[in-house]
Amino acid sequence: MAELATWGVIAALGLATFATRLSFLALLGEGELPRWLRRVLHYVPPAILAAIVAPQLLAGAPGLAATLDGPRTAAALAGLAVALLTRSTLATIAAGMAVLWGLTLLRW
Amino acid sequence: MTSSDRQQALLAGARACLPLSPGVMLFGMVCGAAAAAAGLTPGQSFALSWLVFAGSSQIVATQLFAAGAPGWVIVLTGWVVNLRFMMYSATLAQHFRGTSRFERWLAGYLLTDQAFGVTLARVLDGRRDIPWFFLGIAATLWLFWQIASLAGIYLGALVPASWSIDFVVALTFIGVLAPLLRDRAMAAAAVAGGLTSVFVVLPLKLNLMAAALIGAAAGIALEKLWPSSQPGA
Repeated sequence: MAELATWGVIAALGLATFATRLSFLALLGEGELPRWLRRVLHYVPPAILAAIVAPQLLAGAPGLAATLDGPRTAAALAGLAVALLTRSTLATIAAGMAVLWGLTLLRW
Repeated sequence: MTSSDRQQALLAGARACLPLSPGVMLFGMVCGAAAAAAGLTPGQSFALSWLVFAGSSQIVATQLFAAGAPGWVIVLTGWVVNLRFMMYSATLAQHFRGTSRFERWLAGYLLTDQAFGVTLARVLDGRRDIPWFFLGIAATLWLFWQIASLAGIYLGALVPASWSIDFVVALTFIGVLAPLLRDRAMAAAAVAGGLTSVFVVLPLKLNLMAAALIGAAAGIALEKLWPSSQPGA
């Protein structure tokens, strides 16, 4: 992407994000989100977070023939277990990277 | 409220940010390093950090830049990730009556998951100094985030590729995701989103958009089919 276009995309995303954050603060809480929209928004974060993580566990590109990468999948599961138990991002990263590095060194 | 009360609340907010700072700074460094690794210039990487100022959205935009997605897809997908801020904005606004326009716009710019979450806990404690407490924690978090981003942008490239440090992004997101999996419907949204991104390949890199919509549909469907799930809050 041309440098100027990249700047345009960053600025547009920044403005759209700011408008979203400011929305009800600017209105001073007058008005409410419709209930259906609140429910959609409630479920978007887990869906999109999982959608960002999942392709990084694959041995190749996404698609119908996608296969998992062993060490990365094991590291992600270890990270998930630690995240559920401790709620600590640092512990999650430490556990996941330890498993990934360990299995890579063992040439699993 | 007197000005000394406000100052107290600002400081209390700043102090409340300290326990969050290791996680925030690590995530900020990862986002900065990822943007630089995706081929953005240091100026563009830092602009992403202070203009967008939202880690997941920054990572999404970074990945789409690296994949060569069209600009409108990057803006649309990055924005969808941030739509949740509208819910926070609606909740926070109820406690911002009597503040100046400047304070409200500043609060809007600084609004993040963590600052909102901690402030909400203070609301539930029945405190009345919410706007200043929020500005204290949110501004402190902003400062940590920008310092960490700069560190990531300039130091990220020094880490050897064999360390697979890119995987820290995935683990950070797992750390953010885990506390959201409070009930079956939220778990269903995550599973559906993950499966969509693995098996569905759409033109224009619209996969993440599809994953968000299918995941939300799965969550709502499960909420209806299995009413023991928590309704959308």
